[in-house]
Amino acid sequence: MNVRGHFHVFLCFFLISVAFYAQEKETTSYFDNEVKRVSNGYLKESAFAKAHTYFLQKEWDSTLVYSMEQLTTNVDDKALKDLCLFFRGYAFKEKGLLNESKTAFLGISEDFTFYNQVKLKLGTILLEEQDYKNALTYFKEIEQYSTDELLGIQKDNIEENIGLCYMHLEQFDKAESYLNRSIALKEARKDTLSLIGSYGNIANLYYVQYKDTLAIPYFEKAYTLSKGIKHFPSKSDATFNMAIVEENRENMAAALMYRKEYEQWKDSLNDQNKVYEVAQMEKEFAVKQKQKEVSLLEAENKIKEAQKDGLLYSSIILLALLGTGVYFYREKVKTNKIIVAQKENLDELNATKDKLFSIVSHDLRSSVHALKASNSDLVDHLEAKNLEKVNTLLHSNSAIVNGAYNLLDNLLNWALLQTKQSYFEITELRLFFIVEQVAHNYKALLLEKKIHLENAVLKSDKVYADQESLKIILRNIIDNAIKFSNPEDTIKIYTQATREGYCDLVIEDTGIGMSEATRQNLLKETIVTSEKENKEIIGSGLGMQLCKSMIKKNHGEFFIESTLGKGTKMIVSLAKIAPNG
Amino acid sequence: MDKINVLIIEDTLAQSDTLVHALEENNYAVVGVATTLTEALSLFYSSQKVDLVIIDIFLHGVPDGIAFAETINAVPNASKPFVFLTSSTDRQIFERAKLTQPFSYLLKPFNELELLYAIEMAVEKFYAQQDVFFGDEEDTVISEEYLFIKKGKSLKKVQITDIIYIEVEEKYCNIITEKEKFVILISLTKILKLLDNTIFCRTHRNYIANLEKIEEIILADNLILLSGNHKVTLSDTYKDIVKRMRTLR
Repeated sequence: MNVRGHFHVFLCFFLISVAFYAQEKETTSYFDNEVKRVSNGYLKESAFAKAHTYFLQKEWDSTLVYSMEQLTTNVDDKALKDLCLFFRGYAFKEKGLLNESKTAFLGISEDFTFYNQVKLKLGTILLEEQDYKNALTYFKEIEQYSTDELLGIQKDNIEENIGLCYMHLEQFDKAESYLNRSIALKEARKDTLSLIGSYGNIANLYYVQYKDTLAIPYFEKAYTLSKGIKHFPSKSDATFNMAIVEENRENMAAALMYRKEYEQWKDSLNDQNKVYEVAQMEKEFAVKQKQKEVSLLEAENKIKEAQKDGLLYSSIILLALLGTGVYFYREKVKTNKIIVAQKENLDELNATKDKLFSIVSHDLRSSVHALKASNSDLVDHLEAKNLEKVNTLLHSNSAIVNGAYNLLDNLLNWALLQTKQSYFEITELRLFFIVEQVAHNYKALLLEKKIHLENAVLKSDKVYADQESLKIILRNIIDNAIKFSNPEDTIKIYTQATREGYCDLVIEDTGIGMSEATRQNLLKETIVTSEKENKEIIGSGLGMQLCKSMIKKNHGEFFIESTLGKGTKMIVSLAKIAPNG
Repeated sequence: MDKINVLIIEDTLAQSDTLVHALEENNYAVVGVATTLTEALSLFYSSQKVDLVIIDIFLHGVPDGIAFAETINAVPNASKPFVFLTSSTDRQIFERAKLTQPFSYLLKPFNELELLYAIEMAVEKFYAQQDVFFGDEEDTVISEEYLFIKKGKSLKKVQITDIIYIEVEEKYCNIITEKEKFVILISLTKILKLLDNTIFCRTHRNYIANLEKIEEIILADNLILLSGNHKVTLSDTYKDIVKRMRTLR
């Protein structure tokens, strides 16, 4: 049993070799023509053309090389790809590389012209790999086709293979009938080579069933036939089978003879080295292709890198554009804000101006009205030659006119200041002379009101200011001081140094003074003082605002110190050092 | 000491009257009132010596005042101090007027003090000796021809060639002319620097003599006799003066 088991395994190799060989021989003419016909359309592809040529010449190594080249360069055409794969599968099969062959055949699409061939090949491969069930499925699929439809595949080969499958699946009855049919067909065709295989197969079938008497004649038939041919595999197989048979019959001398003969045939058959070389070449080629792919990928990477760079730059540019856009938008928003703020400011200023107008015109109207009334009185008194009355009236008139004049003067200066029309030049000034010059205008008024004005400013006191605006400031402050002083009061003008780099000009009176609220009000940045403490004394508050604005323009500061009922100190602080520029 | 001669260029009679009144009140001599540019120029260049001009910028509505200032400034040696008089606070006019250096101005309406201040300021600026009349240290501006001396509220002038000698007493200087003798406030260094040193020479620590007024030098007594019987001491330090005398005569 043991021996037979071993024999069984060996048999499978032997049988496949037979099936394959038979098929190949039969198809040559018909199949080759079909291949030529199908391939004609693709001969412009040089690699394919070469593969095709070598295929027909059965140069399997070269076929493999060029079909691979074709597959790596152009696989867009499905039929072309299928053809290449078919060539490869075929070639691999011929080289005995079953796995590669199977992979190539499985890659072929079902609508391929030689799909039946493919099935046969796959079946054969599976048979060789001892996957009998699947092999049987493939063979059964093509069994029904006629020899013509199968493009030259001999039906007996298929039946032989089916028989083999059944044999290995141990369905011996079916195997026997298929194998017998195959033998009948082969005998009819007088295909000696195939017959050797077939006889071997059927002999094996009987042998594994221990029907030795049926088997041995077939073995012997096969051996006899093999002697007449020069096909080494068949010779070696037939001889080997005979050797096993004689061994089992304990006819050792005959067995030894057969063994020796088998060894002889086997040696000539064995050219495994060649196969190895092809595999090596294949490998080298694959490495080359990989190298190509790598360089291609590298190139692609480079392109991608460039694209990435391009993308980066374009995104930077876009970002920059966006940034600029945002910047301009923000600028616009900012400008709008400024405009709104300016509008509010302008509205406020306009309202103030309107208020100022109404107050000033009211004051002026009162003054002029008083003059008018006074003038008609004058005429009356002059007619009555009441000269003393005339004199007092004239004095009061001149006081009214003075007041109105000051008001108008301030108004003009205010307008000039607002429109920035006035000449303004900061120079070094001796305060003493400026005070003298301004005070000179009030001599008569001071005398009349019996107010003593003392200019205690030193001749050496110098400040940096614009002469005319300083005069306007002083005029207003002195005017106020006189206005809010009682007869016999004293106005003293002097300087003090409280801050580094500044000279404080103090105008101190001993008049009625003012409350804290009024003081705060005066220092506020509005033109018009809301309420007047002393209704008898007219004034719009314009003078004080003018002073503040002008002091500011002269880079000075303004302070008020006052006690109600005791007097007021107006302090104008001016720079002693030339301002920059 | 003589009065300062003032030329007024003003087209408004009321204004010029006020000016003439105020000036004469303060011992200035008004040599004429011009109402047009041509009149002003002819008055300015006529024989009578004008020491100072008061110019109204607008004459009959055009800024001829500035044109006048520009004209007289064109001849540097013939130019005189001037004061612009204007009611205009128009910045542009000021900017143009300012180009006629030295620039002094007087804004209308003005009072007497402002007028005098402006005149003094103009003299100071013109002779580039600022801060003379308004401090306590000095009171004299020296031009090539005259000493302008502040006397009370107004200015006076003394012809430099009339000076016989100057006697220095600390920060005062006694000026002795043929007609009079008076004291001015000026430092010795400044007066030496500003007087023409070909005419005025130091003879002693305290004396400066007018070389043209020397009548006799008595080296034995260290004395110099000057015209009008004035005498000054000649100290050893300054005896070099004798050599200069010889070369001069």
